[in-house]
Amino acid sequence: MTELVTTVASLDQADQLLAAGADRLYLGEDYFGLRLPHSFERAELTQVVELAHQHGKKVTVAVNAIFHSDRIKKVAEYLRFLESINVDEISIGDPGAIYLLTKEQINLPYIYDASDLVTSSRQINFWAKHQASAAVLAREVPYEEMVPLAKVITIPVEVLVYGATVIHQSGRPLVTNYSNFVQEHLDQADRQRGLFISAPHHPETHYSIYEDINGTHIFANNDVDLMSVLPKLSELKLNRWKLDGLYADETKFVEIVKAFAKARDLMAQQALDDQQLAKLDEIVHDNQAPERGLDRGFFDIDPNEVK
Amino acid sequence: MQAIKVKHPEVLAPAGTPEKLRIAIDYGADAVYIGGDAYGLRSRAGNFSFDEMKEGAEYAHQHNAKVYVAANIVAHEQNLAGAGEFYRQVRDAGIDAVIVSDPSLIETAITEAPGLKVHLSTQASATNYETLNFWQNEGLERVVLAREVGIDEIKEIRQHTDVQIEAFVHGAMCIGYSGRCVLSNHLSLRDANRGGCAQNCRWKYDLFDIPDNGQKRELLGHGPDGKLEEFSMSAVDMSMIEHIPDLVEAGVDSLKIEGRMKTVHYVSTVANVYSKAVRSYCEDPENYQLDPAWVDELWKVAQRELSTGFYYGTPDENFQLFGKRRRMPRYAFVGEVLAYDEVTKQVTVQQRNNFGVGDTIEFYGPNFAHHTQKVTDLFDDKDQAIERAPHAMQIVHFTCDAPVKPGDFVRANEEK
Ligand code: SF4
Repeated sequence: MTELVTTVASLDQADQLLAAGADRLYLGEDYFGLRLPHSFERAELTQVVELAHQHGKKVTVAVNAIFHSDRIKKVAEYLRFLESINVDEISIGDPGAIYLLTKEQINLPYIYDASDLVTSSRQINFWAKHQASAAVLAREVPYEEMVPLAKVITIPVEVLVYGATVIHQSGRPLVTNYSNFVQEHLDQADRQRGLFISAPHHPETHYSIYEDINGTHIFANNDVDLMSVLPKLSELKLNRWKLDGLYADETKFVEIVKAFAKARDLMAQQALDDQQLAKLDEIVHDNQAPERGLDRGFFDIDPNEVK
Repeated sequence: MQAIKVKHPEVLAPAGTPEKLRIAIDYGADAVYIGGDAYGLRSRAGNFSFDEMKEGAEYAHQHNAKVYVAANIVAHEQNLAGAGEFYRQVRDAGIDAVIVSDPSLIETAITEAPGLKVHLSTQASATNYETLNFWQNEGLERVVLAREVGIDEIKEIRQHTDVQIEAFVHGAMCIGYSGRCVLSNHLSLRDANRGGCAQNCRWKYDLFDIPDNGQKRELLGHGPDGKLEEFSMSAVDMSMIEHIPDLVEAGVDSLKIEGRMKTVHYVSTVANVYSKAVRSYCEDPENYQLDPAWVDELWKVAQRELSTGFYYGTPDENFQLFGKRRRMPRYAFVGEVLAYDEVTKQVTVQQRNNFGVGDTIEFYGPNFAHHTQKVTDLFDDKDQAIERAPHAMQIVHFTCDAPVKPGDFVRANEEK
């Protein structure tokens, strides 16, 4: 069964996302999780968990930051809190948090998510042996590599089917540092500020960049949209689809989720044809922020082309 | 009163070739790290064959030093076959440990090459003690910390784990968390985690936003000199030479020098300086003093400004390359001493770069031996007087007032 995992930006949106067909909500707090549309306080988080459970849906909470000593100390307590409010799963990117789960005997399944680092079946199975319930596949794994990988993995992998792809995380405040050097000071470098950089000789490119307490984050030129190739993912039984609304408008993101949910449902009835797929993809494009492009990322890339 | 000695941490130097391996050890490194064919992150840095590894390990062990093989790629599906065999061969070559970052390769090394010690690469961004505990539990001997970890954090980590800690002390650095940067994959189709990084962080970018009208609005600013400054993310290099006591006291077991692609000149100089400083400190911590000559020496092989990275706080704009570059002292590596005749005071040198009569050159050797000499005469291998030595590998001799040793190197200041 295909599972739609979507980020959440508010309690309101959570409600709409569940109605739109999301199977699992993904959210968390910036102090513990990376690149979230909204940083949920514990009270708010609890409300979302309750809401999702009322709908018979699941919640994954982001605990995937790279922890320094100051923060790792607070992780165990946070995990116990998450356990106490019956969170269904957490995401982890720092093996230190896995160590804590065992040491503190906290009973929470986790999906291993180290952004770009999960690139092979053997690694996925490594985390499986360490009790991971699933793993987030790096966006740099092309379809041709997914084919052999899918045959041997022992736990589900999550594939980003829509949204922004992170391509760099720095511990330094890169925009602030630049801004401090030049005379024209930028007063803001957070995500809301909507900053981009473009590569030399490619003024048409637009890589999003922002700073938060986890450092500086840079994103791929275009957001990922795998609508047109969903049947291929399905064939490989890569059935955990993530939609990331980090840079999407709250309402429009719900429309995008609806389109993917529709594709999933039609596919389950074996009633999804190319025409419908094209139509659904149009919905995705219509709801995409005008300043952001869409493409299939690394999906079509020939692995031999990558040096 | 007898000086209190402290535990001597290892000085770990890079070695891109068998020649550099020997040189690094001759110049005081307690260990070197090298690349192995398919699994190393510096795919373009000279990699060692298994025979070369074996010879390198033998040489190192004769000199009480160790050799590690960096096998720190993050494997994709097609890289998996053969990994076990690779690690077995590395083990059988007598290598002391492999430096690995991909968990799948760590598992392969541990299960398929029993007895081979494994170190976690900095690429895995280990920043806290629970992470170190996790990897120790997996059977790892050592963890190379992320470059983002500060001195105080190391102290804290040390208190909570007894796995060996390795930390970078010198050389170029990634601007991002190592391993968490795929700029190169996306901008150049070269996989940063499989040795292909195109150093895209050092590019010059445009910075802008797109207001509601959909038009790009430039946000680049001007530097203090009034010139337009493009957006870049280039880190200055690291040097912790002035803080050796802090590192040793924090409990670092191995001080790592970056630079498997770097020259013989760099490797010999940096290994020389750090091993000297660490030895001086450990022999007599109370009376230890930083010798300014060590710092000068490092500047002779510096390619960028130097900083302390994250050790004393989050790096600000001064730790990045903006504006005009500071002028680096420029030294050329001009030769290697083959022989010295005490009676005639003639030194025989094999040339590596053009030099000649009138130049001031500097001899340096292991143990921080130094001698500065003005070249007043010069003869070729047929004892004919010449003015300059223009040919690569040319053998020449000339007067040198102080005794120097075979194997010593010669450098010349290029700014005359
Ligand atoms: S682009 Fe820069 S930060 Fe990224 S991997 Fe390459 S050197 Fe490191």
